[in-house]
Amino acid sequence: MLIIPAIDLRAGKCVRLLRGDYAHETVYGDDPAAMGRRWVAEGATFLHVVDLDGALQGQTVNGAAIAALCSSLAIPIQVGGGVRTVERAGILFGMGVDRVIFGTAALEEPAVVADACRRFPGRIAVGIDARDGKVAVKGWTETSAVTAADLAQRMQDAGAARIIYTDISRDGTQEGVNAEATAALAAALEIPVIASGGVGTLDHIRALLPHEAIGVEGVIVGRALYTGAVDLATAIAVAAV
Amino acid sequence: MEVAVIDYGMGNLRSVQKGFEKVGVTAEVTRDPDRIAAARGVVLPGVGAFGACMENLAQYGLVDSVRSAIDSGRPFLGICVGLQLLFEESEEYGPVRGLGVLAGRCKRFAHSDDPEYRVPHMGWNQLEKKAPSPLLDGIDDGAFVYFVHSYYADADDPGIVAASTVYGNEFVACVSRDNVHGCQFHPEKSQTVGLKILDNFGQIVRRSKT
Repeated sequence: MLIIPAIDLRAGKCVRLLRGDYAHETVYGDDPAAMGRRWVAEGATFLHVVDLDGALQGQTVNGAAIAALCSSLAIPIQVGGGVRTVERAGILFGMGVDRVIFGTAALEEPAVVADACRRFPGRIAVGIDARDGKVAVKGWTETSAVTAADLAQRMQDAGAARIIYTDISRDGTQEGVNAEATAALAAALEIPVIASGGVGTLDHIRALLPHEAIGVEGVIVGRALYTGAVDLATAIAVAAV
Repeated sequence: MEVAVIDYGMGNLRSVQKGFEKVGVTAEVTRDPDRIAAARGVVLPGVGAFGACMENLAQYGLVDSVRSAIDSGRPFLGICVGLQLLFEESEEYGPVRGLGVLAGRCKRFAHSDDPEYRVPHMGWNQLEKKAPSPLLDGIDDGAFVYFVHSYYADADDPGIVAASTVYGNEFVACVSRDNVHGCQFHPEKSQTVGLKILDNFGQIVRRSKT
């Protein structure tokens, strides 16, 4: 199972939010590329990058940091946050991004996502971020009435290559990822699911491993890596069995 | 300048250049035939459709530069579609003719209906070492490297296959024949294993007399 470090960008810095609350931000570094190099040195084989400013504004805001990450890291990178058009996805691929993540657009402009999936087969993921099972968008500031399961099914039909599932109530808490909801989603889909939100200990990662066979391909780890609660190299070793 | 990375509008050139820089090999991204001819080693990257790559090479007037580099005996490395272009043809929107330097054809993964093996093949997968090659010096059998492709090369001569990988079916992951080398995976995205392969190419370049 892939252990995927997260780098969330705000005003060019590397930050973590608590439950997605922009008022509860901790800055962990002002050089995202240096942070990326650290994760690569510790064994990362994939990186998850979120443009938090972009997610709120509906466009790419931290392009310079994203470009710096792409040119300095010898691993594939997926980027989300404010991607609302096919053109924007194309620009990110041009920068060297390996997979582009649509969030809000999946709910509000599904035709755009379907178009992107046709233009860039295998390279588009959809981030489904849920609060009590209902999809939240626009930097998690708005919660919809749509269930994560429904949206995931529609996005799979549209050609999404991966679903990244985040339980918002767990995100940044280090209280444990929602393994049950992630596994249920993976079981209902044919495309792989990447878990996200709440990893605080190696046991939280271990709790996901039995579900790898039904499609939980990886888990994004954020705050726990930055506080040192989880050591990346150890987590990778634990998840490799 | 040790290595010329050919810019023909297809491929993530900066990542490849940065990869070489990380291992101390000077690499220049260029579409100038004189610079390519002056380089001690030549790298042909490539992403996107095979036919579009061949068209762009022709449009930029670089087909001759590529052939000359190969014929001169200087070390040559094709990456991803850059490896595929070395073969005779590809089925991708094709058949489309390739450079015909290596015998064999490029085919689409046949199992795209199988949810276990969705196409493109995108992710980390393992190298199974076959014929000895200096490009894979110090690389363990079973090492993971990063792939993203929908078509694969099927070489007529197993003697040139330095490594294969399995994704539904076995396919060519790495070739070496004299001065011509190729990787279907992206060494510049393959962590320390990938950087070691770029370093090996750099060593091949430094050892070469041509």
